[in-house]
Amino acid sequence: MSAVVTTVKLHLNRRTETFVVPLLIAGTVAIISVLIALIFWRSGSQPGSEGWIEGSQSSAGIVSGLAGFLGYLGVTAVATTFPFALTLGATRRAFVAGTLIWNKITAAYVAVILAVLNAIEIATNHWFAGFYIFDIYVLGRGDTLRLLLIVFLGVLATLTIGGVFAAAWVRFGALGPQLVAGGVILALAIVAIILVPEAVAIAAAFQLWWLAIVAVVAIVLSATGTWLLLRPAIVR
Amino acid sequence: MTDAIDIRSMSRTFGRSRALDDVTLTVPVGSICGLLGRNGAGKTTIMSILAGQDRPSSGTAKVFGENPFENESALSKISFVRDNQRYPDDYRLHHVLRIAPEFAPNWSTDVAAELVDGFRIPEKTPIKKFSRGQLSSVAIVLGLASRAPLTLLDEPYLGLDVTARALFHDVLLRDYTAHPRTVVLSTHLIEESQALFDRVVIVDRGRIRVDCDSDETSGIAFTVTGSIEAVERLSNSRTLLLSRTIGNLKSATISGIADSDFRAQARTLGATVSPTALSELVAAFGTDAREPLQTKKGAHE
Repeated sequence: MSAVVTTVKLHLNRRTETFVVPLLIAGTVAIISVLIALIFWRSGSQPGSEGWIEGSQSSAGIVSGLAGFLGYLGVTAVATTFPFALTLGATRRAFVAGTLIWNKITAAYVAVILAVLNAIEIATNHWFAGFYIFDIYVLGRGDTLRLLLIVFLGVLATLTIGGVFAAAWVRFGALGPQLVAGGVILALAIVAIILVPEAVAIAAAFQLWWLAIVAVVAIVLSATGTWLLLRPAIVR
Repeated sequence: MTDAIDIRSMSRTFGRSRALDDVTLTVPVGSICGLLGRNGAGKTTIMSILAGQDRPSSGTAKVFGENPFENESALSKISFVRDNQRYPDDYRLHHVLRIAPEFAPNWSTDVAAELVDGFRIPEKTPIKKFSRGQLSSVAIVLGLASRAPLTLLDEPYLGLDVTARALFHDVLLRDYTAHPRTVVLSTHLIEESQALFDRVVIVDRGRIRVDCDSDETSGIAFTVTGSIEAVERLSNSRTLLLSRTIGNLKSATISGIADSDFRAQARTLGATVSPTALSELVAAFGTDAREPLQTKKGAHE
């Protein structure tokens, strides 16, 4: 257990990347969103109007802004930290377990941060000017519980998927991520071939919780894949 | 005396390449062992397996009686920083100094501070922008300040200036004396570091060529120098490890001990006999124009 805890500390040692950068990205996206809203306002759109709200809430800037960084963070948490962890004396088992715990800590942190910002946004009637940055469809449209679940699972999935690609690189070099990507594309293609005839019926019956199941499956598969790839991996 | 390292019939292959070939080696607790040999001889592979970063294809490697691979207890007693060590993105010196003590139960903040100060390691520059010598300095800080019972130093001198190398020697000897441990040090700067060694292991092409106490290396080979004709007559029917010819002069490194008859014959032929320097011995065992030879003297049982 102690080796797992020290591995978590090893990841948390990158304090700026774990705790500060997500805040900076959220802040940057907020400023960009406000600037875009101002452009729309100057072009004649009215804050508070139905079209304004609909357009603002359809934006997913915060998601794309964070996803890119979190994908990078998930990759580097394995690709460059794994060799150093072994140098410090961590076992592969402790590294994989510690990385998964750190992924969960990071996901929970980002979820809480966005929930707080969302609460402030709603409490201030959207920053006193009708700006919609966090109270958007993709983050649950103001539903805090839904936002927490969406962000937690989304961040955790992004980090673990990044981790499995990095583990493939550690294990097989440049060929590794290509093999994983090829496998994922093949699996998705097979699923699509099977389900396409039922696409209309599936779309009609779609429930939001299906995405949560997909995220959980992706997290479990990625974490398992990371372990299987790193267990025999050597550092050269 | 017990063994810190016990390797038996260990081989390691990478595809068709045989990095280690039937290596058997023991290193007693509390010794400083020089692991010497050419580039690609197998030194780093041996260290990597001892540190649990790799596994042998066959045979066994034990550290303090335990297999180090995925062994938390064994790994807590080992320090090994590779010569091409990678660090997490955006790491600076303070990241290393903050996390290393978490993994090293015997970590000495004083030793780390002394080395950081003495090596003048930049604190604000990202490690990925460090020069070769600065990277070696960080590796030495990790290796010595950890005070690990088994400290594996892989080419610690790479890129270090002469002042830094002297500091490394001073701190290693002083801290080793105060806190005895087992040290395995691989290096190409043999003359500079051989005074540290109490054991010497020479590796070539994945095999152990020499494994003995450091004061026994003089009995492994000798060098005879003289005219080409004289040296060829003297080396005839002996195991020649290495020879060099310059003009009419030739020197030959010959396996074994020069007895009184040989010395008398050399004097008669106008040749001189001298002990072979350790660096010459390593060069001799690394040459390709020779059948593999294995010398084990005083190997710890």
